[in-house]
Amino acid sequence: MADYTKAAELPTETRAGVRDLILVLADTKRLLGMRFGNWILGAPELEAGIACASMAQDEWGHARLLYSLLKDFGDDVDRLEHGREADAYRNMAALDSEPQSWPALVAVNALVDAGLTIQLESHAASSYVPLRQRVQKLIEEEAFHSAHGVAWLRRIATAGPDAQAAMRAAIEAVTPAVLHWFGPDSARATALRNDGIADATGSDLRVRFLNRVQPLLDLTGAKPAAQLDFSSFDEASRRTQGTAPDPNTIRQIRGDKNRAFLMD
Amino acid sequence: MVYEVFARKSRGESLRHIGNLNAPDDELARVYSFNTYDEEKWFDMYIVPRDRFLEVFNRLDAAEAVEQA
Repeated sequence: MADYTKAAELPTETRAGVRDLILVLADTKRLLGMRFGNWILGAPELEAGIACASMAQDEWGHARLLYSLLKDFGDDVDRLEHGREADAYRNMAALDSEPQSWPALVAVNALVDAGLTIQLESHAASSYVPLRQRVQKLIEEEAFHSAHGVAWLRRIATAGPDAQAAMRAAIEAVTPAVLHWFGPDSARATALRNDGIADATGSDLRVRFLNRVQPLLDLTGAKPAAQLDFSSFDEASRRTQGTAPDPNTIRQIRGDKNRAFLMD
Repeated sequence: MVYEVFARKSRGESLRHIGNLNAPDDELARVYSFNTYDEEKWFDMYIVPRDRFLEVFNRLDAAEAVEQA
């Protein structure tokens, strides 16, 4: 299959799909970093707080890297990072609001990270070269995030019936959003696969994801979502139409309060 | 449980002690070591639970033994 070294070389339809995909990945990592960052203080032990700091730093670094890829598509990266309202963000819906408990954060850590990694792995041999070149580094850095999420999930799931029930509820709150995020096997998704951008469409990605996380679900008896509804699914943002992350988080992410100090 | 952390920057170097941390089990201890001591670019890193250290001797014990004698 042909390699595409520049966005301009991509077939028109595919180009829009790749651009949307990269923005979805970047926004998801941006929000994920924010969620980790808010647990630097307040994690159950000092070392877990340090892990959250480290993961936040990684995710924000990954987001930066992904946003910068969009220059190739003619995007104004500064505007993407600082100029958008909450309803223009394309993060995975599981990150729309702050995890309210440590098990909720652990579920995000174990399952959202796993979902992202499954998606990134599907681009490991991508025909769009700039994406392929960056994906490997991102996947490698994700390995220790996953190890943190899995270790904590196991620890909570085996800490007694109450802890296990809390962990199960947290898993069941996050899993449907991850499964939904992989999207339908639409014409667009199929075109991306046929052009070699990804090696799978939504259904296959869901199978890969469930294969990977099933042992974690089994630890608590959690069930994945029964039925997925794609009737209001917006393919560009990979979100249900009319939904958005909370505006406060986005104000923080944009750095509104401190924009005055930014020198150009 | 306290874990002692060792690392080196290149293959030829000796391992050196770079710190310690608390973790409930080996699995989290590995993750915490990686995250806590990630400021340097290490070649490799190892952890040992402190209670697995085998004492050969220490000067303090020897001095006390002499005092008691």
